[in-house]
This record gives sequence, structure tokens and C-alpha cells, in this order.
Amino acid sequence: MTAHFVSQLDDLMRMSLRMAAEVEEMVERACDAIYTADEAFARAVVAKDGEIDRQEVEVEAEAIRLMALYQPVGVDLRQLCAVLKVNNDLERIADCAVNIAERSRHLEVQQLAAQDPQIRAMCPIVRRILRNAVQSYASGDANIASDVLKEDAAIDAVYGQIVRGVVAQARESEYPISAHLDLLSVAKNLERIADHAVNIAEDVIYLETGTIVRHKPRA
Amino acid sequence: MAIGTQTVMSGEARGARTGLSAVAQRAVSNSAGGAMPLEVVIATRDLSIYYGSFQAVKSVSLDFFKNQVTAIIGPSGCGKSTLLRSFNRMNDFVPGVRVSGEALFRGQNIYAPASDPVELRRRIGMVFQKPNPFPKSIFANVAWGAKINGYVGKIDELVERCLRQAALWDDVKDKLNQSALALSGGQQQRLCIARAIALEPEVLLMDEPCSALDPIATARIEDLIDSLKCRYTVILVTHNMQQAARVSDRTAFMYMGELVEVDATSKMFTIPSNPRTEEYITGRFG
Repeated sequence: MTAHFVSQLDDLMRMSLRMAAEVEEMVERACDAIYTADEAFARAVVAKDGEIDRQEVEVEAEAIRLMALYQPVGVDLRQLCAVLKVNNDLERIADCAVNIAERSRHLEVQQLAAQDPQIRAMCPIVRRILRNAVQSYASGDANIASDVLKEDAAIDAVYGQIVRGVVAQARESEYPISAHLDLLSVAKNLERIADHAVNIAEDVIYLETGTIVRHKPRA
Repeated sequence: MAIGTQTVMSGEARGARTGLSAVAQRAVSNSAGGAMPLEVVIATRDLSIYYGSFQAVKSVSLDFFKNQVTAIIGPSGCGKSTLLRSFNRMNDFVPGVRVSGEALFRGQNIYAPASDPVELRRRIGMVFQKPNPFPKSIFANVAWGAKINGYVGKIDELVERCLRQAALWDDVKDKLNQSALALSGGQQQRLCIARAIALEPEVLLMDEPCSALDPIATARIEDLIDSLKCRYTVILVTHNMQQAARVSDRTAFMYMGELVEVDATSKMFTIPSNPRTEEYITGRFG
């Protein structure tokens, strides 16, 4: 019975990690789409969203099924809860990637983004945060997860600079105001992806240590 | 406080003042409020129990608090039933049993020479794994102990009160003179609980009280345990970990005679401190 449950829990974890890998790839393509004129990147991201939605439902249904049938406790319960919560964050990250991809189809946004050093700086940081969050989830490494939490403030700071830059420059800019709003939307979605990655890292810390670190001031 | 006190956060309803709904008042009451001291009813200090040369319980120190349900879990042979049975000296009937350390009831040593086992068993009642009603009427089963202990009140009222507390009154009120052996297994077990509480004990020891019952009867006993704790202190030995999780306030995990861990049940079943507890409750061993 226990071996059977553990085997099914492993299968569920694999489903969740496969979804995480695909979401990570969506974010990478969405970031690439901002800087390239190749609309194929953006189209691929948008097209992938339906598949991620399907996987999210599948993972959730399986997690609920295991809870109902086995009533797990201890680390098994924490793991199932983590899978459910991470599942939700992954689906939201995919939505953010779609939002970025849709904005990136506008030529003016690509041009604006190319000139904005903050957006250029933000993309690789967000990708790294997400990659590390997923890695901590895959390996159950609370130390990597703790490092992810430390990067959240940096992303918030960069986003704040972008907002202030748009406010200062939009009126004098040669680009229409809609292009600046699209750029802000891209920045906001990047910042949201980082937030969801931090949520994943927090769930990993709870899974591994039993400590809830949400809503606590960080050093 | 005989042995010591612990402090837990417990709530005083503030709803009457704030105009909250009954549900909200309960939520506030459960989540906030002043500190309420816990009273130790039974305590062990370095308690060891031997069957001849075999040490079944190894230096266990553990407190049991008033009006709480404490579950003792652990694999077969870990000493949990031996520990439970030491609290009302049921082990005295086993040849070769020896006890060292202390088992205290209200601060008094249970094994002191002056301790009266009969009086002790009146104050610390017991419900066994298999329902064991007397081959007498339902009424007589409940009234028996009180009568032989010289109960001076109205026996009819006592029987009704105990059967109501045991959630059995509605099932049997019209057949009190019928044989207790004609009841179902679940009803017989509730009758045994009624019989135990007729002596107005302070503590109820329950040794796997549902292991011979079907899931519906088990659910009724679990509901009953939950309602009994406002009057009694309950110590429950169970192999059913979900049952321990459902009905107890605190859980103690024993392994090979040792107390491995004791904590709030909600913590024991989500984030236990000891890896052996985690392995046991998740079925990795045992």
C-alpha cells in the first residue's frame, strides 16, 4: 500500500516537474520574443498556454485523488500540498508569459524595450530566479530556495525604476503612449513571474523544513 | 496543578461585545484570546515496566492533561498498551510484572504501597479493544458498578444520564431490560463506555476501542470521544493513525518501549520533529 502510494506520488511529482520545465521554456521564449522580430516565438508561447492549462487540471485532479484515497500525513501531506500550490503558480506564470508574448508582437514595444536597459536587465534575472525556484523544487533543496527569496527585492527595485522611467519619459517620447503602457505591462508580468517563483521557493522551504516563511520580513 | 502546568493559547469569545455572528465568534474564540493553563492529571517520570527480564517500557516521562484526548501510537509491541494499563494497575494481574520510576495520578504515586487499586480503577476507567458487556440487561450493565460502590442517588437517572453521555440512550431507551449481548458491536462498545462513566471517573483509558468495529460504529465512537473530553481526560491507544489524527489533541509516538516524540496532534501529523515519527506515520516502517 505504502509502496504503491509512494510510486504514485513520484509519478505526480514527475508530472509537475514536466509542467515546470515547459513553463520555464515559455518564459524564455516570451523574453526572446521581446527582442526579436520573429513572431514565431510569441505564437509558440500563446499556443502552449492551452497545454499548460490542461496539465494544471490533470496535476490537481491527481493530487486530490491521492489525498482522498490515501489521507497522507507528514512529509507526504506537505509534498501534496506543495504540488498543488506550485501547480497554481506555474499556471499563473504561463499566463504571464502569454501576456508578455502578446505585448511583444507590437513593433514599438520591441523598439522601446531594446532601448530600455532596465528591461534588458530584468529578463535574465527573472529567468534565473525561475530556474533556481524550479531547481529547488525538483531537488528539494531549501538552500537554493532561500537564495531565490533574496532576489525578490532586486526585481521589485528594477520594476520600480522602469515605472519611474516611463512616467518621466512617456510625454516627450516619439512612441505612442500605448507602446509605453505595453512596455509597463511587460515589466509588470516579469515582476509577477518573479513573485510566483518566490512563492514556489517558499513552498519548497515549507516542504523541506516545515517552516512557513511567507509574510515575514527578509534579511 | 499537581505536577506542573503548560500554557496554551485558547480563546475567550469576544463576540457578544463586538456583535459578531456565532460562527465568527467561534472562529475568534479559537484563534485568539488569553492563555489558559493546562492541568496535569496523569504523569509518568522515568517509568519503566518489565515483564520478567524484558523491558517493555523504557524510562518514559509524559504528562496527560485534563479534558484532553491524548493518543498513544506506535507499532505492535512498542509498549503503548503496557503503558496505558499501568495507569490503573491492570498490569498487576500479569505475573512477573515489575515497575520502576513513577506513575502519578493527581500527584500521588499510583504504585505507592498505600494506593488502593480498586479505588484507582474507579477513578480511572477503562474501555477495552473488544466490547465486553456483562451477560446481563442493558440497565444492569450500567447500574452494576454504581450499585456495588454504594451509589446513593436515583439509579434510573444515573443509567439514563450515562447512556445519554455515551450516545446510546435513543437506541436502547425502550429495551433497557433486554440482554446487552443482543446489541450490535458498536452499541456494546458504547454500553461499555456508559458502564465506565457510571462510576464517575476522572480519566478514561481506551485500548484500541474501535478495532473490532465497522467504520460507521467507529465514527460514532470517535464522535463520542470528542464529546466525552469536556468531562473526562481521555487516553487512547490506537493502531489507526487517522483515528489518532481525528480525535486527539496530543499524540505520543512510542517505538520499542521508548517515547520517541509527543506533541500537538496537528503538528505530529504535518511536521513531526523526529525522523522516526515521520517514517512511522507515513508508513515507511512499522
